[in-house]
Amino acid sequence: MTQTAYRENNMKRETAGIRIEDLYLSFGRTKVLAGIDMEIEPGEFFAFLGPSGSGKSTLLRAIAGFGPRPKGRILIGDREVVDLPPWKRNVGMVFQSYALWPHMSVRDNVAFGLQERRLPKREIDTKVEAALELVGLLDLAERMPSQLSGGQQQRVALARTIAIEPQVLLLDEPLSNLDAALRVQMRRELLSLQRKLQLTTIFVTHDQEEANTTADRMAVLDGGVIQQVGPPQELYDHPANAFVAGFLGTANILDGQLQEDAFLTKGGHRLPITRALPEAKRIVLRPQNIALTDQPAEGLIRGRIRHREFLGSQIRYLVETADGTIIVDRLHEPDGLDYPAGSDVSLRVDSRNAPLLP
Amino acid sequence: MRKLLLGTALSLITLSAASADVVTVVTSFPQDLTGPFKAAFEEAYPEHQLEVVNRNTNAAVAFLQETQGSNTTDIFWASAPDAFEVLKSQNLLAKVDIAAEGIPDSIGSYPINDPDGFYYGFAASGYGIMYNTRYVDANELPIAQEWEDLMGAEYNGHVAMSSPSRSGTTHLTVETLLQGDGWEDGWAKWKWISGNMNTVTERSFGVPDAVNSGSAGFGIVIDFFGLASKASGFPVELVYPSVTAIVPANIGIVENAPSPAGAKDFVEFVLSPQGQEVLLNPAIMRLPVNPEAYANAPEGFPNPFDEDFAPGAIIFDVDKSGARYNLVNSLFDVMITYRLDELRQAVSAVQRAEAAHADSSNEEAHALIAEARALIEALPITEEQSLDPAYADVFQVARKSADTEVVGRQAEVEQEWDSFTVDNYRRARELAEQAASL
Amino acid sequence: MSATNSASSRALRFTLFPRLSGAAVVGILIAILLMAFLVLPVAQVIYVAFLDARSGTLTLQNFQDFFNTTLFQQSFINSFYVSAMSVVVATIIALPLAYITTRFNFAGTALIQSLGFIPLIMPPFVGAVAMSLLFGRNGTVNLLLNQYFGFRIPFMEGLNGVILVQSIHYFPFILINLSAALRNIDRSMEEAAQNLGASGLRLFRRIVFPLAMPGYLAGAALVFIKVFDDLGTPLLLNVNTMLAPQAYLRITGVGINDPMGYVISFILVAFSVFSLWASFLFMRGKDYATTQKGGGGLSKRQLSRREKILAYLVIFLILALVLSPHFGLVLLAFGTIWSFSPLPDGFTLQHFQTVFTESTQYIYNTLLYAGSAAVLDVLIGSAIAYIVIRTGLPGRKWLDYMATAALAVPGVVLGIGYLRMFHGIQLPFGMGPMASWWGIIIIALMIRRLPYALRSCMAALQQLSLALEEAAENLGASKSRTIRRIVVPLMAGGILAGFVTSFATAAVELSATIMLVSRASEAPLAYGIYLYMQSPAGRGAGAALGILAVVIVALGTYLSHRIIERERDRTVIPASGQ
Repeated sequence: MTQTAYRENNMKRETAGIRIEDLYLSFGRTKVLAGIDMEIEPGEFFAFLGPSGSGKSTLLRAIAGFGPRPKGRILIGDREVVDLPPWKRNVGMVFQSYALWPHMSVRDNVAFGLQERRLPKREIDTKVEAALELVGLLDLAERMPSQLSGGQQQRVALARTIAIEPQVLLLDEPLSNLDAALRVQMRRELLSLQRKLQLTTIFVTHDQEEANTTADRMAVLDGGVIQQVGPPQELYDHPANAFVAGFLGTANILDGQLQEDAFLTKGGHRLPITRALPEAKRIVLRPQNIALTDQPAEGLIRGRIRHREFLGSQIRYLVETADGTIIVDRLHEPDGLDYPAGSDVSLRVDSRNAPLLP
Repeated sequence: MRKLLLGTALSLITLSAASADVVTVVTSFPQDLTGPFKAAFEEAYPEHQLEVVNRNTNAAVAFLQETQGSNTTDIFWASAPDAFEVLKSQNLLAKVDIAAEGIPDSIGSYPINDPDGFYYGFAASGYGIMYNTRYVDANELPIAQEWEDLMGAEYNGHVAMSSPSRSGTTHLTVETLLQGDGWEDGWAKWKWISGNMNTVTERSFGVPDAVNSGSAGFGIVIDFFGLASKASGFPVELVYPSVTAIVPANIGIVENAPSPAGAKDFVEFVLSPQGQEVLLNPAIMRLPVNPEAYANAPEGFPNPFDEDFAPGAIIFDVDKSGARYNLVNSLFDVMITYRLDELRQAVSAVQRAEAAHADSSNEEAHALIAEARALIEALPITEEQSLDPAYADVFQVARKSADTEVVGRQAEVEQEWDSFTVDNYRRARELAEQAASL
Repeated sequence: MSATNSASSRALRFTLFPRLSGAAVVGILIAILLMAFLVLPVAQVIYVAFLDARSGTLTLQNFQDFFNTTLFQQSFINSFYVSAMSVVVATIIALPLAYITTRFNFAGTALIQSLGFIPLIMPPFVGAVAMSLLFGRNGTVNLLLNQYFGFRIPFMEGLNGVILVQSIHYFPFILINLSAALRNIDRSMEEAAQNLGASGLRLFRRIVFPLAMPGYLAGAALVFIKVFDDLGTPLLLNVNTMLAPQAYLRITGVGINDPMGYVISFILVAFSVFSLWASFLFMRGKDYATTQKGGGGLSKRQLSRREKILAYLVIFLILALVLSPHFGLVLLAFGTIWSFSPLPDGFTLQHFQTVFTESTQYIYNTLLYAGSAAVLDVLIGSAIAYIVIRTGLPGRKWLDYMATAALAVPGVVLGIGYLRMFHGIQLPFGMGPMASWWGIIIIALMIRRLPYALRSCMAALQQLSLALEEAAENLGASKSRTIRRIVVPLMAGGILAGFVTSFATAAVELSATIMLVSRASEAPLAYGIYLYMQSPAGRGAGAALGILAVVIVALGTYLSHRIIERERDRTVIPASGQ
């Protein structure tokens, strides 16, 4: 494949890790980032996940050198970059809006960064073609950006960034302007590209599914503070706090207290547990770990279905209980068990591996 | 905004309804002149109100021409006699009997009133040389007393005048020299003076403005500009050369005037001894046409009726002037106004060559200089041609006789003159430069 | 049933008025207005160009004469050269001002933008006098240079003088349009380039400037056409070998009826329309709606202390140059006698006293005339802009061409045309002939300043993404409500800029109005200045009146800028994730 050719020709790329130490940033009086500390390994696909306003884009832009100067340290490889202007950082960034220059053709857009690096013309041509081929747009090189579809624009933006062979690739919500099917396809392409190039990549998103499916590790941000860092699955299984638990997938968080080998909810239910967390005050129950039955029994939580949603592969029930509303997801099978809204049901909770929160 | 508009509209309606006896005057004169006359007139004739509309002469003539169909103007009041001639020829002026006593028919050889009685001279102006004393001191220049003086090399770049096609009074000065010195010598004089010019202005007031600000040292101006400038405190002086044009400033009643009685009253007032004395106002400084008015004139006020005034005055041939009026203007513009740079270069080159060979007896150089001078002075047409209707009528759209054969279209004729002139100036410069290098 | 009823009545209405949408009706009305007050009056004057001067028959002979005349060929070249050079010099002046004030966080941006606008308000006559007193051969600068260094710089000689004065006078057109365009560039456009390694001048040259090109070109075309057609400045500097002054001299000579003046007028109008069309052609497909308004615009960077000092220095020098005529005006207005000396001999308040006792009606009239004209201009200007850019009406471009051609019509031609066409029309209520009615002055000003407002409105609308309107329509807003609630508010900055430009320049306009003023009591400021400047004693008072004009317009401009800035602060939504 030509993609392999590209890789072989250009594998001299030196990718680098990123270290962020004690980073603070504010817009005027508004504090946006507070005490960010993290390390991203070379070649890692890393995601910043958080709701809007969490500071994830600001953090990404700080790495690229945009926005107000932060306090603290950002190291790319061994290089301290906080005081470097954006054009000296050699980090590639793909903007949410793609920011393709409308007055330049696709080819000129991609060539831009190489021209800024004063490369010989022939080398620029080769690299532009390689980058365009990598994203499969070589035949559209002479088009103007306004003549491209959203997905094509996205690829041009990517090619433009990759062409300069940055040490680090930053993606600012790159998929948010695409439709659902394209989004899934693009995210796979992104991942396979990243794997091929072995390029340290940071991906900003508010969509946990995007982060889960692509990232080696991720950082969940809220209120300008990192809530937790780790591989997606670990964060899902062992959230550090209620925010992380709630932001990664759906979670029922029940208040209560530890009682020997069980968690006693406020509603008076006893949930057996195997691991223990001293001072645990809350338990996280995933909806798919709760079963429904219309046969009341000892140890089951009783409730009434307030609302029912058909999700395709699953059916989601919102059940009113003594511990508040609990969400329950059941696999949907044709002609399988189903309960209409208003039914009285009992919940069987598999709580042995349920995460506990302080 | 709507209220504002409505209010204005209403006040205008009431205004126009209340002022039944308004005498409307279209004039090119400044407020300094019209203000005192308006005040004095309204005092003498309380039943009339004077409405003064200022337009420069060209705009005023165009205005009267365009509004002919429903005329709203009673009086046209301006300096340039030619503007009155144009209006008269297009039947835009009314012939009204005006009672005015003590006003002679002419000052020197210049008639004061239109012989046909369509317009009246109310003030006279002479032409003179105005100079800025600071400028003259700083550049250590002698004071030019006569037109000839301005031809000297020492005045190179220090002179300003306006184009005769833009100012009727300038035209008369140009024509006066052409008649006084003859066609060839007159034009030669103008060319040598113009070669020293730093500017030919489009407005006649541009000349006193230039001298007042000191951007030009000497200006060829109508006297009241110089006198009024001096009266306003500018460091300027005015001298009358011995050959000067006496130019009447005129007033005429517009044909089909909406308020004819008031118009007649105003003209009579302006010509009355009372009105004539208003002219002595220091901001106006124009010469009354009634000799008696000079009795009350301040010390040193020029009196054109005095024998010592402009002793070299010529007999001015009005018919000759009228016959080639536009032709002279056009010729002046083609040879001087539009080709000022070329002319200046040629004249400067000759002046340098003359300076270089002032004391030498290099025959060849003197011959070259003489040839260059002749080229600069060369004219595309003779005096006879200038008076030939076949030429003069080229510049006239409304020809006196429709069957006159003309020599070509204006643009065509001007192009011929232009290439003739430009070519001569260029060759003159080359010859002069050649002479200077000998 | 009611449903069927309303459906059938809608169908009926549709056939009764086939496709005559609101936009079409407005377009037709504007076309009629332009025909009546621009095309026909001008045609009445200019058709002389096609007549044989002698026989009065139709001919093209005059055009042949034009092209055979050396003087006119040279005049054409001079006009072209002066216009092109003026654009270059004006760009050099405008670019740093526009860039620094839009690109950096800079105290006094509104003040600088307003000061940068003032040169457009050059009162007639006094401006040129002030310039020659400062920069003329014996002006302040050259007197001092000559005294201390023994040489002079010919700032004001020949074509150089015209270029200098015109660039200083007209560069605000570039400043205004370029600033607006720069503000509207999405921040990510610039950041993407920085991210790829571009910075400083290269970033500006390769990304920022090309994206601001539509705005820049709108301004530059305006400067080019305006300088090409302007006759006042060359005439006051006594340069007459250019086309516009040639036309003027030949049209207004007393008693002469040289058809060449009209031929040149025709060529001026035609060439202006051609230049405009060429600029349209050049910009085709470069209509970059890069920002969805509220999406940010260029990020403003903080300057370091050293950069700040440098920037202030640059701005100070530029402002000192472009405001020098007005500085000269102040000296003239407060000075006693100023003649062949670096400064006036003394200072006095006498001139202002004269003005306040004699001439207050001019101020009121000017506010009324220029204000009404500018309001009409932005109304018509935004309507034309909308019709041209957003509708598919046939012939819509001609509205633009027609309105813009007013740029090229010498004021005196329009004035004569009005007299010729409207003097015979009597107005009701004893208001007299239409041509001497004060309202005709407003119409003349409106027509003459319409191109300015139109260009601003066009630029504003061009940079407005269509999606914003579609969103409103999608949410149920009709076309007219979308225009009122979405388009107009988002264009507000451009509309306001158009208003200010029209108002400010109309306030000092003289060439057409001087033909149309019929009573001193109804005359505007510029006419008052003209009156004063006809006599030596009036120079100071004329300058004082000029100062008043400048102050009034400058205050208006400053207020508008404050409104624009506040509007921006109010509507800018912070980008997500911050």
